Amino acid sequence: MNITATLFGQMITFVIFVWFIKAYLWEPLTSAMEERTSKIADGLASAELGEKRIDEANIEYSRIVDEAKVKATDVITMANQQSTTIIEDAKVISKKEAEKIISLSNQQIGQDLNIAKDALRKDISRIAIACAEKIIKAEISQEKHKSILDEALKELK
Amino acid sequence: MSQSDGPATDNPVEYISHHLQPLQYGDGFWQINVDTMFFSTLIMFGVMWVAYRVGKNVSVGAPTGAQNILETLIDFVNGLVKEAFPKPNKIVGPLGLTIFVWVFLMNAMDLIPVDLLPKAAEMIGIVGQDGKHALKVVPTTDPHTTFAMALTVFAICIYYNVKNKGIGGYFKSFLVHPFGITLAPINFVLTMVEEIAKPLSLALRLFGNMFTGELVFLLIAILPWYIIPIPGSMWAIFHILVITLQAFIFMVLTIMYISLASEESH
Repeated sequence: MNITATLFGQMITFVIFVWFIKAYLWEPLTSAMEERTSKIADGLASAELGEKRIDEANIEYSRIVDEAKVKATDVITMANQQSTTIIEDAKVISKKEAEKIISLSNQQIGQDLNIAKDALRKDISRIAIACAEKIIKAEISQEKHKSILDEALKELK
Repeated sequence: MSQSDGPATDNPVEYISHHLQPLQYGDGFWQINVDTMFFSTLIMFGVMWVAYRVGKNVSVGAPTGAQNILETLIDFVNGLVKEAFPKPNKIVGPLGLTIFVWVFLMNAMDLIPVDLLPKAAEMIGIVGQDGKHALKVVPTTDPHTTFAMALTVFAICIYYNVKNKGIGGYFKSFLVHPFGITLAPINFVLTMVEEIAKPLSLALRLFGNMFTGELVFLLIAILPWYIIPIPGSMWAIFHILVITLQAFIFMVLTIMYISLASEESH
C-alpha cells in the first residue's frame, strides 16, 4: 500500500461520517432516551407519591370519622342531660303551679263556705224566729210568760 | 456464490488477480481507488439517510421501527463506552457506533456474489486500466480504507493523550513506561513499538480478515459450478460471523485505545 489520495479521501469520509452520525443520530437519540428515562422515573415517583397520598388521605379520613363519632356521642349525651334537666324543671314548675292552684281553690272554698254558713245562719235564725213566732202565738199567756216577755222587752229597751 | 465461466477455470491465477485488482485512476500520490471510494461513500450516504430520518423524527415516547433498532445499538455501544470511560466522553460513542455500522456494512458487501457487480460494471463499460473488468466491491479489502480508519483513531488517541497529559507528559510516558526512568532508551523503543502497533494491528486485522475472506470466495468461484453451492454457502454463513465479529472488534479496540489515551498520567 502506498500513501495515496485514496487514504486521505477515506480519512476525510470517515471524519465526516462520524460527525454526521454524532450530530444527526447520536445526540438526538441519546437525549430522547435520557428524556424518556427521566420521564419514566418521574412517572414512577409520582405514582409512589400518589400512593402515599392515598394512604395519608385514608388515615385522615378514619381520623375524621372517629372524631365525628366521638362528637356525635357527646351531642347525644348532652341532649339527654338537657332533656332530663328540662323534665326536672318542668316537674318543679308544674308542682309549684299545682300548689298555687290548690291553695287558691282552698281559699275560694273557704270563702264559699263562710258565705254558705252565713246564709245558713240567717236561714236558721229566720226559721227559728218563725217557729218561735208560731209557738209564741199558740202558747203565749199573760200569766205564764209575763216574766219572759218582760225580760225580752227589757232587753229590747 | 458465483457463476464459474470458462475462462475463470481455464486461468485461475488471472481470474483471481483480476478480482483483487482495484479500479484505479491516477498515478503516484493521486492514485485513487475509485471502487473503494465509491462503495464506502455509497454505504455512508445510505446510513446517513437512515440516520437523518430517524434523528429528525425522533420520539421520546415508545420508539418504533428503525429508531428501536438504533436505540438498541446506541445502548450497546454506550454500555461499552461507559464501562471503559470513567468520565463522560462526547466523541467516542458516535465514533464507535459509526465504526461498527460502517465496517459491518462494508464487510457485508462480501456476501454479494463475487462476479456479480464486476460483470455488471464491465457491461456498462467500467473497466480497469488494462481494459478488463476490475472492481473491488468490498471497501475493507482495500488497506486504504482500514488504514484510514485506524490512522484517524490513532490521531484521536494522540489528541486525547496530549489533552490529558500535556505534550511533556505524553513524551514522558514514552520514557518512564514500563521500566522506570533508569531504562529510558529501552522504554522509548518499547512504548514507540506499542503505540505504532495499535493502528497497525487495527488496520491489518480487518484488512487481513476481509481480504482472505474474499480470496476464499474467489477460490470457491473457480471450482466447477456443481460443487460451488456447498462450500460457497458454508463459507458465506461462516462469513456472517466474521463480518460482525470484525466490526465489533474494530469498535471495541477503538474504544479501549481512546480510553487508555484518556487516562490521567500516573
